[in-house]
Amino acid sequence: MSESLLKVRDLKMHFPVKEGIFLRASKFNKAVDGVSLDIAPGETLGLVGESGCGKSTLGRCITRLYQPTAGSIEFCDQDITHLGSHALKPQRQHIQMIFQDPMESLNSRHTVGDIIQEPLIVQNIGDRASRAKRVLELLNIVGLPARSVTRYPFEFSGGQRQRIGIARALALNPKLVICDEPVSALDVSIQSQILNLLIELQQEFNLSYLFIAHDLAVVKHISDRIAIMYLGKIVESGRSEEIYRNAQHPYTQSLISAIPVPDPHRKVQRQIISGDVPSPIAPPSGCTFHPRCPSAMSRCSQDIPHLDSPMADKSHLVSCHLMD
Amino acid sequence: MSEALLEVSHLVTEFDTDEGVVRAVDDVSFSALAGETLGIVGESGCGKSVTALSIMRLLPQPMGKITSGEVLFKGRDLTRLPLTEMQKIRGADISMVFQEPMTALNPVHTIGRQITEVLLLHRNYTAQEAIQEAVKILDRVGIPSPDIRMGEYPHQLSGGMRQRVVIAIALACNPSLLIADEPTTALDVTIQAQILELIKELQSDLGMSVILITHDLGVIAETCDHVVVMYAGRVVEKGSVYDLFDNPAHPYTRGLLASIPRLDTIPKAKLSVIDGMVPGLLDLPQGCRFENRCPHAQPSCTHASPLIEQVSTSHEVSCFRWQDL
Repeated sequence: MSESLLKVRDLKMHFPVKEGIFLRASKFNKAVDGVSLDIAPGETLGLVGESGCGKSTLGRCITRLYQPTAGSIEFCDQDITHLGSHALKPQRQHIQMIFQDPMESLNSRHTVGDIIQEPLIVQNIGDRASRAKRVLELLNIVGLPARSVTRYPFEFSGGQRQRIGIARALALNPKLVICDEPVSALDVSIQSQILNLLIELQQEFNLSYLFIAHDLAVVKHISDRIAIMYLGKIVESGRSEEIYRNAQHPYTQSLISAIPVPDPHRKVQRQIISGDVPSPIAPPSGCTFHPRCPSAMSRCSQDIPHLDSPMADKSHLVSCHLMD
Repeated sequence: MSEALLEVSHLVTEFDTDEGVVRAVDDVSFSALAGETLGIVGESGCGKSVTALSIMRLLPQPMGKITSGEVLFKGRDLTRLPLTEMQKIRGADISMVFQEPMTALNPVHTIGRQITEVLLLHRNYTAQEAIQEAVKILDRVGIPSPDIRMGEYPHQLSGGMRQRVVIAIALACNPSLLIADEPTTALDVTIQAQILELIKELQSDLGMSVILITHDLGVIAETCDHVVVMYAGRVVEKGSVYDLFDNPAHPYTRGLLASIPRLDTIPKAKLSVIDGMVPGLLDLPQGCRFENRCPHAQPSCTHASPLIEQVSTSHEVSCFRWQDL
């Protein structure tokens, strides 16, 4: 295994839920509850899960937009979990983010040129002329015409706006890019353009991606490894081929089987799991998936399962009592 | 072959905007057969939702209007029906399920009140009977402890549950046609699977027709019998689901099918793309609307619009070059 660029260990993010007249935090929303993961240079880790499973919160903890409750985040062999904003600033250059909704993440009153050069100004890099040059270079990289510099975000389509967001994320030559549902809001024909662009950029600049999405087909396409999250915990992770062909956790299996396949001849017998995702404020006891699990046993409601490597492929981790 | 329940022919819908008249739906024809599911697929802005709103006569007023064409439902032209007649059909004989259940439901009314409203309006129920019926319907769409849910408000339910309530309201009067506009787009995959299964099950129990509007070709392949592909306000191809997926004739349909990442494609392989983007409805090209993105375009495509041609008895396409492809 190559050196990790990012090492996350037992990360927890518990948001207090304030209640009562004194707004005392009596309960906690355990959005991320003990997650460990590694990302190597040039690698894509896909993070899949349903809404509310904590995948976006995890991404935001890694960029330190949230201060995690417990656990550690190591980036380039430096522990950045508790760095103050001043000490964090140089590290922030290397971790950038692409958001889901390109309309909401671009300031509508700034020109595209201003938007893309803002990270350079914040980090105090270059002078006016060299920044302008860099903006043109970035526009070219993401496939937008140079005349876009003076335009405003509303003049662009969804796919083009996402390209602007990507150009901004690349401005500082980052090592790690957190992509939070970057193609979910886009139309099918545009989605493939953006996916191709992300893959090209990764190869050209040796970028690492944490690719957060709910669409398993998209994630499988772009990722080297996949981690499946459910209620703040990783329930299964491994190489993408292995996860897709040899999924062990009942939740992963049902996620894969729930994807509608664009082939009318394939009338698959669906494994539909019933019920909704429970609230992370009061998660079920034992294995949090047990109320929806088709193969739950009595011990599943009592014992908390741990990530283990029961398979021949030792990089394939599963957190399920069925594996014992 | 079953009979057509709904026949849309040469429908044109226009919107008056500040920048001029926008033709959102341009000469669209298709029919929905009794007991079948018809899929309408296309990207944002292709006119698929406006088509649905035109059928329901729910276009935003006063900007939107149907300028020509007809919508025959059980032999009656809905476009010419007086408003009072249309109101009797809406919610009773034709119902609609919307994309975002939170905005489709009224946040300040209880679930019970919103379901009984339809029953009291269209059926001669007493309040007591309506409540009993509503509980039955909620149970039918798979909502646990329906009598308690009756007194709850939409914000107390999860997204999937809310969509079940919207479906319950739509089905309250046993409609013969259900129009579902992106019913699962806002939902998670496991919930999407539950809702699609529910619609399928209810359809076969109640024998209704469904028009399913979506951008997801996977959903189309799994649920629809016939499919209409729309692009920039026009129908570019229609046929049975097998015609379309096995033998797509229009370059746009082909492009769409080729561009979706599938679970069995090679990871990180280049996905095939449709270059460029959908033309704006205010400056549409003169000829074929897909011409500027089409890999097979030739000069003649810029001058005239292609007509609908038959590929087979069940399969039609609107392209000059489909035979050469």
